[in-house]
Amino acid sequence: MGAESPFRFPPPEFESGHQLPLTAVPGGRAWIWEYIDVAVLLAALGIATWLIYKKRSRKGILALSIFSVLYFGFWRKGCVCSIGSLQNVALGVCDSSYGLPIGVLAFFVLPLIFALFAGRSFCAAVCPHGALQDLVLLRPIRLAPWLEQGLSVVPYFYMGAGVLFAATGSGFIICQYDPFITVFRMNGPVLMVTAGIVLLLLGTFVGRPYCRFLCPYGALLKLGSVFSRWRVRVTPTFCTQCRLCEASCPFGALNHPSSANPTDIRPERRRLVWTLVLVPVAVIVGGCLGFLASPAASRMHPTVQLAELFLKKGNAPVAYGPLTPEAFALERARRDPKQVLMEAALVQKRFQTATPLFGGWIGLVVALKLVGLALHRQSTDYEPDRGNCFSCARCFEYCPNETGARAFLETSVKPSAPLQPSAPS
Amino acid sequence: MSELSRNRLFSRRGFMRRAAGTAAAGATLVSLRALAARPEATNPWAYDDTIYRRTDPKLVKYEEKARFSVAHSSPRCICLTKDERLVVGAGRFVCDYTLDGKLLSEFSLADEVRCIAERDDLLYVGLREHIEVYERSGKRKEVWDTPGSKSYFTALAVSEKDLFAADAGNRVVLRYDRFGKLKGRIGDRRKEPPIPGFIVPSPFFDVALAPDGLLRVTNAGWHSVEAYTFDGDLEFAWGKPGAAIENFCGCCNPIKLAFLTDGRVVTFEKGIPRVKIHGPDGKFESVVAGAESFPENAKVCGPNDCTLGGLSGVVDSKGQIYILDLVAANVRRMTRKPTAT
Amino acid sequence: MIQATSMKPTPPPFHFSRRQFLRDGARVAAMTGLGTLVGLTAARTRGHGTVWQIDPQKCVRCGLCATSCVLEQSAVKCVHAHAICGYCQLCTGYFEPEPNDLNTGAENQLCPTAAIRRSFVEDPYYEYTIDEGLCIGCAKCVEGCNRFGNGSLFLQIRHDRCVNCNQCAISKVCPVDAFRRVPGSQPYLLKTTSHGS
Repeated sequence: MGAESPFRFPPPEFESGHQLPLTAVPGGRAWIWEYIDVAVLLAALGIATWLIYKKRSRKGILALSIFSVLYFGFWRKGCVCSIGSLQNVALGVCDSSYGLPIGVLAFFVLPLIFALFAGRSFCAAVCPHGALQDLVLLRPIRLAPWLEQGLSVVPYFYMGAGVLFAATGSGFIICQYDPFITVFRMNGPVLMVTAGIVLLLLGTFVGRPYCRFLCPYGALLKLGSVFSRWRVRVTPTFCTQCRLCEASCPFGALNHPSSANPTDIRPERRRLVWTLVLVPVAVIVGGCLGFLASPAASRMHPTVQLAELFLKKGNAPVAYGPLTPEAFALERARRDPKQVLMEAALVQKRFQTATPLFGGWIGLVVALKLVGLALHRQSTDYEPDRGNCFSCARCFEYCPNETGARAFLETSVKPSAPLQPSAPS
Repeated sequence: MSELSRNRLFSRRGFMRRAAGTAAAGATLVSLRALAARPEATNPWAYDDTIYRRTDPKLVKYEEKARFSVAHSSPRCICLTKDERLVVGAGRFVCDYTLDGKLLSEFSLADEVRCIAERDDLLYVGLREHIEVYERSGKRKEVWDTPGSKSYFTALAVSEKDLFAADAGNRVVLRYDRFGKLKGRIGDRRKEPPIPGFIVPSPFFDVALAPDGLLRVTNAGWHSVEAYTFDGDLEFAWGKPGAAIENFCGCCNPIKLAFLTDGRVVTFEKGIPRVKIHGPDGKFESVVAGAESFPENAKVCGPNDCTLGGLSGVVDSKGQIYILDLVAANVRRMTRKPTAT
Repeated sequence: MIQATSMKPTPPPFHFSRRQFLRDGARVAAMTGLGTLVGLTAARTRGHGTVWQIDPQKCVRCGLCATSCVLEQSAVKCVHAHAICGYCQLCTGYFEPEPNDLNTGAENQLCPTAAIRRSFVEDPYYEYTIDEGLCIGCAKCVEGCNRFGNGSLFLQIRHDRCVNCNQCAISKVCPVDAFRRVPGSQPYLLKTTSHGS
């Protein structure tokens, strides 16, 4: 209002001819850096995939992890990150006024494409959060199966919630509750700094707690990795069931072979049938519960919060003197209450369509998890789980075929002279 | 595994689990505490002038007797005529009221009225860039030339032979004769004799005739009231900046002056809207109406623009003070409290 | 037992199976989905993205900008539009409401960190400039300037400091919703002059 008032006079004309200084307008980060970040991401993803599949080198992955922590973590301060980009994309799809930056889109899409072909190379050594947890892992313990399976649905819930609140414009909860960004920024709210420290301490003996039980983008990568073209293998050639790699995976992502005897495995057909029937039921129930939770969920949106504040405290006497922020908000609401209430009603309507979808999604996830538990796959080899394996390359060194192959490669043998077959065992 | 880890009571794993559990519990408690700190908290850097907006009741020597609304919005000026009538300039209208607030007549102009003065049944109306002369009935008599495009007339004072016009745009008081001829300029910055010049950051610049025969001009930027002879010699000045009751607040105050018959000055301020009485030498005497009396004015004045508010006023022959509230668009009559000396 | 038939270790032979076919199908579907997503959103991308900025016409100087930023020293600083300033000797954004004297003494200044520099230009005009290294973005001077002065001081996010979070932490707590996304090519909402109406 000050500058628009007609009752103010321009600055005086100085007799000495003094020039008015201009207001400085320092620009932000040059736009080229966004492309450099994407290029570094692409390069890191490529190198990680090459290290996992061609070089099969744990040392290489370790080195790349340190680089990622330093570049994406401490240098870029953890932002922009692929985990949060999920929300940006959700907002970009649902809100036509929001222009999604190309760099953020690339951060969302590139790791997914790599996951569809090569598994979770992003998680291996590129994601700074994952790399950080990987680097602090000292004495991994094995979690009870019920705990592990139970917690493994949480990333899907978190993903759904993140998308819900981002798409409705309520906020970016994944960013707000990111524990490791406080480590990279060396600053943050008390709650998140504590959470970061707690998770890091936990990560010294529970491998990658955030990745396994919280990361919403990891849920997507898991889905992509299940359909990947190539899969990580413990052995470079073929598995001999020597069991040496059994205890090698700190993240519980190594699948043991099912019993050699097919009759040992009873197909749980009944269980499978009722879990399959449960799927549509769970979706519907979840959708209904979501609809019921719609008012509560809509309170995450600032406009709805303002409307509620006005309805609760609108009759309080007008405050004078220096106002608290809440009093300012109340003043703003009082200036045009109809507008505020109308906007809040629109937001609540948006939530009424969004929360049933979220509820249905939760129901679907839980039901499919139960279906998955009812399915038993026959396998004869020790194989990393397609979805859960982080491609950290720890298990490679446990396999005698691996060490043998490396030893073989290290000896200088001319390609033209084939070796004599060894004596039969 | 060592002896210790096999001992169930002191197993490393058990200890780590317990430590993790405690850490988690502690984190939950801390987080709850952190969540409890919400924006009801006050602003530690608040600009707090509330103590200056409260007047000590012992200083208030006047009380409100009557109040009437002005017929049009955004009134800017008021003057008292010889026949004890109040003429208010509001918007494009000039309204004629009795002292009790009964509207007798009004007439409209082409442009907004900025200032007004009356002498010998002639109304001198200052528009933004020029002055016009009207009869009391509203018939236009003369239109005077404008001094220039930067002119912004904010006050008029008419004596027997002269008319003094305060031009805020050019920061000078112009002296005309009664027929529109420019006779001189008062207040131009000079070295010999030293005249500081007027600082007028906003169009609130007043000139008035004092009972002692000198002009009083508000040098709002210096927060002072200056006394000039008709020829432009600076006699004396008084006034100090500050938000306290005895000083003039904000960036540019006082914005209007009126005189009691014994030479005491009634000052009107904006920003922290208040009306005070100072002695002829400038010594603070009493408060006519403090900031609490003008809540809408204070609300509009701050926090965004103090020039949107303001007060004006006149004193009648009985010593009653009429305060024109530029925001609430009303006039209130203040009389001296009987208990006050 | 290693049976070395060639120089490099070979992976097991490829078996085409129903599972593989389904997996390929799902992958193609996923790639198509991603492609559609990219197409949908890329069409709407705005140049080089958006940054956050404060609308000075809406700001009420609540003081939360100084404490809510995720950075240790807030990226919000006070900015001075000299073309609006009156260059007053008594700057109501510089001095306390009741200063002892009109000088640079700390007890006379509003700013809690003495971030405003007052320099003499010519009688009676003074120039006021902000030292951004000292400014904390508390808006005390902005309040004083707006309330009693010309309103030439206002808060802005400085983009050489701001890290451009997805959701600005201050925008979440701003009581009047004064924060909005602006194009990166025009990242400031400066107060302009509108004098002499």
